[in-house]
Amino acid sequence: MISFIGRSVIQKIITLFFVSIVSFLIIHIAPGKPSQVDPMNPKFTPEVVERFQKEFHLDKPLHVQYFYFYKDLFTGETISWKDNQSVINKIWERFLNSLPLFIVGTIITWTLSFPIGIRSAIFRGQFYDRSATFLSYLLISIPGFFFAYVLIIFVVNQFHVPVIGMETFGIGEGASLPHIFMDRIWHLLLPSMLGATGGIAVLSRYVRSQMLEVEGQDYIRTARAKGLPPEQVHYKHALRNALLPFVTMFGLILPGLIGGSVIIESIFSWPGMGRMAYEAILARDYPVILTVNFVSAVLVLAGTFISDLLYLIVDPRIRL
Amino acid sequence: MANNNTLISVQDLKVYFRSSHECARAVDGVSFEVRKEETVCLVGESGCGKTVSALSILGLIPIPPGEIAGGRILFQGKNLLELDEEDMQKIRGNRIAMVFQEPLTSLNPVFTIEDQIGEAVRIHKNIGAGELRDCCIKLLKDVGIPSPVQRLKDYPHQLSGGQRQRVMIAMALACDPDLIIADEPTTALDVTVQAQILQLLKSIQKTRSMSVLYITHDLGVVANIADRVYVMYSGIVTEQGNTAQIFYDARHPYTQGLLASLPSRSKRGKRLYSIPGTVPNPAYKPEGCPFHPRCPHAISTCSREHPEMCDYSKAHLARCPVLFESANGYK
Repeated sequence: MISFIGRSVIQKIITLFFVSIVSFLIIHIAPGKPSQVDPMNPKFTPEVVERFQKEFHLDKPLHVQYFYFYKDLFTGETISWKDNQSVINKIWERFLNSLPLFIVGTIITWTLSFPIGIRSAIFRGQFYDRSATFLSYLLISIPGFFFAYVLIIFVVNQFHVPVIGMETFGIGEGASLPHIFMDRIWHLLLPSMLGATGGIAVLSRYVRSQMLEVEGQDYIRTARAKGLPPEQVHYKHALRNALLPFVTMFGLILPGLIGGSVIIESIFSWPGMGRMAYEAILARDYPVILTVNFVSAVLVLAGTFISDLLYLIVDPRIRL
Repeated sequence: MANNNTLISVQDLKVYFRSSHECARAVDGVSFEVRKEETVCLVGESGCGKTVSALSILGLIPIPPGEIAGGRILFQGKNLLELDEEDMQKIRGNRIAMVFQEPLTSLNPVFTIEDQIGEAVRIHKNIGAGELRDCCIKLLKDVGIPSPVQRLKDYPHQLSGGQRQRVMIAMALACDPDLIIADEPTTALDVTVQAQILQLLKSIQKTRSMSVLYITHDLGVVANIADRVYVMYSGIVTEQGNTAQIFYDARHPYTQGLLASLPSRSKRGKRLYSIPGTVPNPAYKPEGCPFHPRCPHAISTCSREHPEMCDYSKAHLARCPVLFESANGYK
């Protein structure tokens, strides 16, 4: 057990090292330059460009730049080229904005997908299953941005509530605490529901097929032959086995924290991580791009590590 | 017909499987009975309907696509086919228990042996936790599993094939049922383990004075274990009798063919006999006697009339009027 953890941590660190090299190279090979060092930029004189290049070591060879960048990253001194702010602080601030969206979205997705998928499998071919199937294919096929606008128009016309942004503009002054709280919740609801719809559609289908596969196994027949009532057969014997693959998935949703949803954050003017990363790419803000990249690589590796550990706990057949 | 000694009597059972364009008549009018404290074998090749017959006793046929198209299953005076799901649950595992073919896939991989055996006891009996544990240990001991206390916390994958089947049998014994249905319990095991499991079933049947309905395609097993035998072919019973009658005095051409294809010392070095042709598709059975396309004795009426059971001697019946007439003609 301990040796497994040690081994896999070392492996993940090695992977992370290669990821850092590859992502650094890709960013620098990609066409385009940061606007601050672009000779075509009329705002900067050649002297300013030269000074900028010196300050950020852009005149040094790539491997030296690589070294400087990751030294700054690990000492927490990386600053954005765009606004000279600390990247770590920027990301942390955006992360706190994205977190509620991610948590609420994930909770909605997982708490709805499982009951829908399990019931579909139990009543396979019947009315419930058919309507769930129809709905999920509908949700999969509707483009997210279109659905978002339809929902915004509907909610705004119907309930006369503001839905754009994280809070109503200028609410800070004089509003009571419960009022601010409820306002936040209102703003949170629509984007997280939208983020969840696609997830529900896909995940509930996946739960259904897993459950169906397990329901056809011999041990389900054994459980029925024992005289167990159907609820115990479905929710104890079948569900426990059908859940195994989702334990793996649970670790892998961690990276979703960073990627978030650029589309939804853009539509709702939500100042989250996804939008920040997207804007950084447009501005060729190398420190921000690379830091976000590095953090998401860490999250992916941590996610796989967690799912390995979880698998170890839930599946008795896997022992080290 | 049913007398006081009869434990379960299946009468003219018909189980069909319907799909959109065809109807597979898996069991097409099967009758058999199991008496108290006896071992009855249902014999036949794959797809002849033996497993479906057994599963429908416990109401385990998936409906749809399955469909009980007719017949009765009388168990202790009640027709099992008319019971609702809740009453059926009180019979399953409690009065009638089943042992399945593949012990590895028939045990749930994520629950311990104790969970799975204990569950079978708990569902039918009101029993405390400590008592339940003792009960599981005793059951494991009864089926001959060494150091049962240590085995309780094991998962199925940690046991050998023979031990898994013993656990399945322990589960079946949990509530001391009147009837155990064993559906090819030794097929997935190697020969020495197979012999041990058969021995175990035999001794359990004696000590607990239960009845066993044993389903198999292996005539060697039948000779070893059975009191009476029903030979099935394509969804019907073709011949029935006690073990000696079936093995030494087979009257149906199908049974005769099966016995002729067994290897034996006298046939050493010769080619083994095999019945020509294949089992008919249950959705497209031939008219008349389902065996007539493969039968060496077939005459023109065989392809037209469904054969009746012919009574040879004390409870020895065979569904072949042709051989019956020629045999009686000699006398």
